[in-house]
Amino acid sequence: MEAELINAELVLPTHFSFKRIQIYEKYPKGQPRGRWKHLKQILQAENYQNHPPDEPNYVNIESPPSMHPPMRICDITGFEAPYHDPRTNLRYANTDVFKLVRSLPNEYVQRYLALRNAAVTLK
Amino acid sequence: MPFISQIKRQTDYNLFSSTTPIVIDNGASNFRIGWAGENDPRVIFRNIVQRPRHKTTGETVSIVGDHDTTLLKYFDCSRSGPRSAFDSNVVYQFEIMEYILDFGFDRLGANGSEIDHPVLITECILNPVQSRSKMAELLFETYGVPSVAFGVDAAFSYKYNQQHGICDKDGLAFCPGFTTTHVIPFIDGEPVYKGCSRTNIGGYHVTDYLKQLLSLKYPHHMARFTWEKVEDLKMEHCYIAPDYASEARLFQKGTKEAEEKTRCWQLPWVPPPVEEPPSEEEIARKAAIKERQGQRLREMAEAKRSSRINELENQLRGLEFLLHQLEQVEESEVQYFLRETGYVSRQEIESALAKVTQSLRKVKGEPKGEQAEAEEKTDEKYPLVSIPDNMLTPDQLREKRRQMFLKTTSDGRQRAKQKRVEEDLERERKNQLDEQKRLENPELYLGEMRVKYKELCEKVEQRKRLKTNGNHSNGNGMSGGVGRGERLNAAQRERMRLLTTAAFDRGKGEDTFGAKDEDWQLYKLMSKDNDDDDEGLDEDETELARVSSRLQEIDPTFVPKPESGPSQPAADIPRSRPLTKEDFQILLGVERFRCPEILFHPNLIGIDQAGLDEMAGVSMRRLPSKDQVLEERLTNSILMTGGSCLYPGLGERLEAGIRMIRPCGSPIKVVRALDPVLDAWRGASVYAAAVQFAQQTFSRMDYYEKGEDWLRRYQFQYTL
Repeated sequence: MEAELINAELVLPTHFSFKRIQIYEKYPKGQPRGRWKHLKQILQAENYQNHPPDEPNYVNIESPPSMHPPMRICDITGFEAPYHDPRTNLRYANTDVFKLVRSLPNEYVQRYLALRNAAVTLK
Repeated sequence: MPFISQIKRQTDYNLFSSTTPIVIDNGASNFRIGWAGENDPRVIFRNIVQRPRHKTTGETVSIVGDHDTTLLKYFDCSRSGPRSAFDSNVVYQFEIMEYILDFGFDRLGANGSEIDHPVLITECILNPVQSRSKMAELLFETYGVPSVAFGVDAAFSYKYNQQHGICDKDGLAFCPGFTTTHVIPFIDGEPVYKGCSRTNIGGYHVTDYLKQLLSLKYPHHMARFTWEKVEDLKMEHCYIAPDYASEARLFQKGTKEAEEKTRCWQLPWVPPPVEEPPSEEEIARKAAIKERQGQRLREMAEAKRSSRINELENQLRGLEFLLHQLEQVEESEVQYFLRETGYVSRQEIESALAKVTQSLRKVKGEPKGEQAEAEEKTDEKYPLVSIPDNMLTPDQLREKRRQMFLKTTSDGRQRAKQKRVEEDLERERKNQLDEQKRLENPELYLGEMRVKYKELCEKVEQRKRLKTNGNHSNGNGMSGGVGRGERLNAAQRERMRLLTTAAFDRGKGEDTFGAKDEDWQLYKLMSKDNDDDDEGLDEDETELARVSSRLQEIDPTFVPKPESGPSQPAADIPRSRPLTKEDFQILLGVERFRCPEILFHPNLIGIDQAGLDEMAGVSMRRLPSKDQVLEERLTNSILMTGGSCLYPGLGERLEAGIRMIRPCGSPIKVVRALDPVLDAWRGASVYAAAVQFAQQTFSRMDYYEKGEDWLRRYQFQYTL
């Protein structure tokens, strides 16, 4: 290790005195690290359906879809956008922006749509 | 204000007795750890781990938190991105959690054989029991902690502020965090979990949105927009507009206010060194050097010419002498003599002589009088051509055929030369006409040239685009490209036609293409088609080159548009003019208030959930008791806490939003916590220092005896 790295103590040491089981014992080198369950799997395993529905749990307290009318803003400039381009599915505010929208290569169109979670994903 | 982490190792670990709890605020953005009863956490760092490989030794190491990038150059960070233990606001990766706890305890100064203090750690609201149990297991088993307590960070913050009188014991806590936003009602000082609501929008989403917007707007500066930099920008410049539509209209109209509100970030940029017009002496010196060089070249040419002349004259003399000798020699000895000299016959010597004289004359620069000579010679050379066939012997016939062939070729060459001369004359004439036109009316001429240049440019680019588009579509969808007939250009259509007819021409239902050798000739046809297309393009290109060179000569302001590569639409800054300072400025106008707007309107990002102001209504609706007075009390003390509530203008906007959903005239008071970022830790610290804290914890024995079900129902009692 280079001297300045040791001085800066950048790297996490592998052995700690206050630990009962060191990390290299728990996760031996070379073996595949444990597969951790993601949140979705954890929630599935919780089996919230079996519990009474009144009781609050992680899934219960999620907020419902919004009741307010959705705000439509132009994808590119951020202004108010009453118009919508059927070919690219982008929203635009006026004719100048429309010219820009039509001249964008497909990659950029998809990225703009992905901002809104509206991109076309091919599975 | 950029975030600075505190990671200095603390030295007073041993001064604290075994009963002093350690307080940990385990947040998705930052990890804070410290002693109970103190006002500030000792160690704060970003809750991420990187596992790069060391470049020279090759071992994989772990680096916790945000570190100085200059030191990271020893490591190959390409394969490992920063990893977090969190998925939304729940801990799921306990290996990473272990690294982080290691680091945290280490920097706190831990040095015994185990962590001998009770630990209070924060978690999200209604943490799934699996995550909770794994965390408890980690703390008990690996670190040897005697007892553990779990609490909700927003509740700690609310209680802390309540003790300081900022909010009442009944109220709402709004907690926009890093990955999620919660609204929790408090009744009698205790959080009512039934009335909680959570939206999955947080500071992370705001930063991500800003990053994507800037990358799309300034694609050539994309490398500059790192996560940390964008977060800094967000913290410095973003604000929440009191009314989005009116702010947007301000910017759309381009009023002066909008100008003032636009912030500008100047990227470092060095202007190219300006070339000073060379001074007089410079010019004189350069001219002198050029003179000298020219002189030298001329001298060398002269020397070469004279040496060549000498050589040729020598040769000439030699040959003449030879001829002379030949005449003197007797008949019988001619053969012998000739063999010695190396020439086969007298004619050869004579022809060599003639050639040498010719080249000598050319070198000396005499007029081409030998043109006539050449013509005479051609007539002489082909004596047999004029004699009709039937009078010649077979040998002579062959001879005649050869001579005819030679004659036609030389005739062809003559004709080609003639045509070239004519073309040259033609071009000269055209140039002269051009010149005349230019001298008559410079303006009009210039205009015409420019128009022609533009047209040609467009045509060439279109051709190129069609070609590459066709190639791309060909490359991607050759198998399925049948339906895209209108886009393929002529060459590709021809190719398709050939292939399909070839496939069809063979036996019915059987594909015997390739059985015969002639079938493969098909491909020769196809590639030829492609070449034709290229040639057609060349005309336009040469014309374009000619026009652009003319324009460059006569128009001082003309800058030729370079042919941009077909596959770089917006990767480079369009260099139609030299780069200026403005190219390196990043303007933040609408983005300043567009990005935090997603807290109120998550459907701007595509997340279909309620925004902050609506969540208040949702939360109150979920309360078990519908009491008007209670609701008024709740709205009377609304606390904002959490890292993402630091945007200017959030308070007013929230108040306006809540007023919209409450009946007219109800009291609404929105306050911000004393220190939204650190209050959660401070509240937890106050709790851990209280005497009754020990009753709220559970020990290892409890954990193993009582089991998972009890753990699920375990809740921290917040009023002590």
